[in-house]
Amino acid sequence: MKSDLISMNDLDLADIEHYLDLAHQVEGLPAQERVRLLAGRVLMVMFYEPSTRTRLSFESAMQKLGGGVIGFSETASTSIAKGESFSDTVLTCERYADAIVVRHPKEGTARLAAETASIPIINAGDGTNQHPTQTLLDLYTIKKCHGQVDNVRIAFVGDLKYSRTVHSLFQALLKYQGVKFTLVSPESLRLPGYLKLSAEGRQLDFDETDDLQAALAQNDIVYMTRIQAERFADIMDYEKVKNAYCLEARMLAGAPANLKVLHPLPRVNEISPDVDKSRFAGYFDQVESGVIVRQGILLSLLGVL
Amino acid sequence: MNSERHLLIPKIESGIVIDHVPAGLGAGILELLRSYAGLDDAQITLGLNYDSNKLGRKDMLKIIAPELPKKVLAHLSILASGVTIKRVDNYRVQGKYSLQPPDHIEGLARCINPNCISNHERQASARFTRLGETSHKFRCAYCERVFELDELDIVLP
Repeated sequence: MKSDLISMNDLDLADIEHYLDLAHQVEGLPAQERVRLLAGRVLMVMFYEPSTRTRLSFESAMQKLGGGVIGFSETASTSIAKGESFSDTVLTCERYADAIVVRHPKEGTARLAAETASIPIINAGDGTNQHPTQTLLDLYTIKKCHGQVDNVRIAFVGDLKYSRTVHSLFQALLKYQGVKFTLVSPESLRLPGYLKLSAEGRQLDFDETDDLQAALAQNDIVYMTRIQAERFADIMDYEKVKNAYCLEARMLAGAPANLKVLHPLPRVNEISPDVDKSRFAGYFDQVESGVIVRQGILLSLLGVL
Repeated sequence: MNSERHLLIPKIESGIVIDHVPAGLGAGILELLRSYAGLDDAQITLGLNYDSNKLGRKDMLKIIAPELPKKVLAHLSILASGVTIKRVDNYRVQGKYSLQPPDHIEGLARCINPNCISNHERQASARFTRLGETSHKFRCAYCERVFELDELDIVLP
């Protein structure tokens, strides 16, 4: 039976740890050995939304494993522009490839692709819902920084309402033991209530604040996010909060020595460039982890590891 | 009190009674029943705003039909879980039970998230799974948002 990677809701802790172990295993393989693992295989990238890191990271991951990549990153030059349904596009693309990576602005699209196709589907972001490969690379980075994910103290900062990377990582962290959350956002961008539920539907309590400076002193991870203009129905609402948070190096003066600042990127103004060279910056390490983690995912879903 | 109610909504010889319907939901249930072939021409009596010890006010329906098909009951469990279904034979209640929320819903309700793919692609038929045995919260299989049962948008046949 084929496997897909659609949502953190589908994975239990053992599944998550399996992917993290695979990434660790891949990292230990010599490059000349890695490049033979997916020789002759083809990855299809179907990107209905802009992307730099996720698409390039998958392309890099696949090519370093010896495979090829085809696909599209905008729909204007495809039959989608002629009105082809998403399902028909998937049924066509699966005939050209061994696995499909899909990004789409509508929530649930990757799930539909997985139900439609007979080859593995990887969700590279569906609307404001999930971004599981980003979550796995975030967890991998956290584990590298702190040795474990259990008992980590993490502050999510910025757009907690619309950010799929936050939603996805938040749900994954709920599966670990003793994780402490601080949710830092403007009132209008609070984490949606449906995410603050136990698996049985019980309401859970979290520390919610708009004070970034206080959160810096009390956490091991600060997960910054961009306020996403493209998710706002009314641009005036975006204007009110777009510069709500800007993390500068001077603000990190009293932070714990092992604090790491993570960000799924791209950033706009929320992290000043003067943080980049500090020991706290972990966001470009995330980018590097992204290739390794995605290699592990590809090898697992294609039945090699 | 009972005799007054009997005057307002007479006993049926045989059929189904839907009782303990929260006041205001009766008309919606009638619309649902009448949208099903086989029930669209059944004799149905609808009573509104009766006094009720349990609910304060309640609606009630009496249907001259041997039974309610499973799909109707599944639909009804979304619209009005908690109502009492009574089977009447020879003017007597032969059996009754409280209609529980379903564990799964498929094809009977739409997702209310306008950005959910189930509202855009014909192949994505909305389905929902209940969170926990005692919860009235349901997760959409596609957008993964969680809704209260009474928030779901019922699809009539």
